[in-house]
Amino acid sequence: MCGIMGYFRKRAGNDERLGATMLSMLEALGRRGPDSAGVALIGPSHRAGYIVRVQAGDQLAMNNQAIQVNQEAIKLFAEALAGASDISTSGVYVRFLLAGEADLPELIKAIEGLGEGIEVLSIGHAMEISKEVGTPHLLESQHHISAFAGTHGIGHTRLCTESIVDLSHSQPFWGRGAADVAIVHNGHITNYHQLRRRYEQRGVEFVTENDSEVLAVYLAEALNRGATLRQGLDGVLRDMDGAFCCLAVTATEMGLVKDPYAFKPLVVAETADFVAVATEEIAIRSAVPGNYKVSEAQVEEVQVWSR
Amino acid sequence: MVEIAAMAIDAATLSTREINTLIRARLKSGPAEISVENPNARHNLAVALLQPGRVRFAGSVGYYCGGLIDGAEIYVEGSAGWGLAESMNHGHVVVQGGAGNGAAAAIRGGTVVIHGDAAARLGVSMKGGLVLVGGDCGYMAGFMGQKGTLIVCGNTGHAFADSMYATTCYVGGNIGGLGTDAVVEPLSAEEAEMLDRLLAEHLPPALRAQKPPGRDFTKVVAGRKLWNFDKHNWKTWQDAL
Repeated sequence: MCGIMGYFRKRAGNDERLGATMLSMLEALGRRGPDSAGVALIGPSHRAGYIVRVQAGDQLAMNNQAIQVNQEAIKLFAEALAGASDISTSGVYVRFLLAGEADLPELIKAIEGLGEGIEVLSIGHAMEISKEVGTPHLLESQHHISAFAGTHGIGHTRLCTESIVDLSHSQPFWGRGAADVAIVHNGHITNYHQLRRRYEQRGVEFVTENDSEVLAVYLAEALNRGATLRQGLDGVLRDMDGAFCCLAVTATEMGLVKDPYAFKPLVVAETADFVAVATEEIAIRSAVPGNYKVSEAQVEEVQVWSR
Repeated sequence: MVEIAAMAIDAATLSTREINTLIRARLKSGPAEISVENPNARHNLAVALLQPGRVRFAGSVGYYCGGLIDGAEIYVEGSAGWGLAESMNHGHVVVQGGAGNGAAAAIRGGTVVIHGDAAARLGVSMKGGLVLVGGDCGYMAGFMGQKGTLIVCGNTGHAFADSMYATTCYVGGNIGGLGTDAVVEPLSAEEAEMLDRLLAEHLPPALRAQKPPGRDFTKVVAGRKLWNFDKHNWKTWQDAL
């Protein structure tokens, strides 16, 4: 099943209630996806550096001691890294800021090489991904989503259909190697294996067995090549087969794409102030007050909102 | 003169089961006008109402509103999600906003009226009744329609009336693309009159005035090439499959 959602503030400045709004939307969608919950939030931009979020290990696969060892290793690494600051931990996560430029693939390799089970979950000038195996309530208790102020974000509640239930396989998926790109997906990419083979032949590494990941890989590659988000999403429509409603974020944009067969629901509400998108209208009504219309996205629809 | 009892329900404090139980219990004791505040786009509201009565939702409803009803009337002041009035046997469902996929799926009778736009697979496998959309409809409306009448006052998406049996469709705007075995037939004077009568009866006057006159509607039915297998039609089968 899965539930996806997105919220985008159109006016200038930060929305102090972005996190709270997104959490409400996620809670309303929790029924659709009891296995995991996650968000990709865009906050104030650290233009001169990155926000790095790392998972030290998965409690479903490793014992707490091993995770703690990893967490310490990551903290030490960050402390020794030139330009790193604001190192903090929460649950199995480590978060730090990194000033200056960085070769993201190199950085990912360096961090993930510190220990078995370590995975970099997001790197961005403004984007942070938080995800947990569990309910939106757990996500909130670990990451205090409701306190997050920012401009836009996407979220996901997962009902696992074809890969495993663990943190790594949860969404949103970061477009690894590209800063500030993430996707959430409801549906099934049926030419996943073909696409994955082609990418792997070119040296791209996949972290999970989850077909949704190929959307993140695809968009990261498109954006790294210089395509716009809209061009990337047009490409998704052209090159992906199967059922999909997909939402994507960059530092300044949110986009949606819907497959040619309307297999999965996606409703959109747009006013002069905001755009809210969700698998079910109840998610928008529960979280966003006001007298606005909600309508179903059409087949083959691509829409991008920019700030 | 039968006295119609009135009842107001605040959905905000009730579970879906409680709301539906209250509605059913009230209708059991006689016809009633029930209004539901704060439906909040909840799913499965007003399903399986088997007695006459009127339920008005002051807001949006989620999936399957009015599913499996037999004789009730339902008015939705906001929009509806997927599966509106699915498998309705008889009754009258009106939505002032738009509706999601599969509106009026598999209905056996009754009427479904959508003032706004309908999404994909409107009237899929409908087995009777009347579906009337004031706005546009999406992809593959009328898919595998068996019987009944499907009217879209605005434009359709592509694959319109794909693989139909004996449902008759009428379109006031542009057809985005005809589905497999869908053909246009000439509209008779009687049908034009019927369309004018139905639009006048079911749409608010201001909305009806924006839509074309009955005589400008396009009639679409099945070409019947898929009704029985004939090897000479194998190209049509290839397309369909």
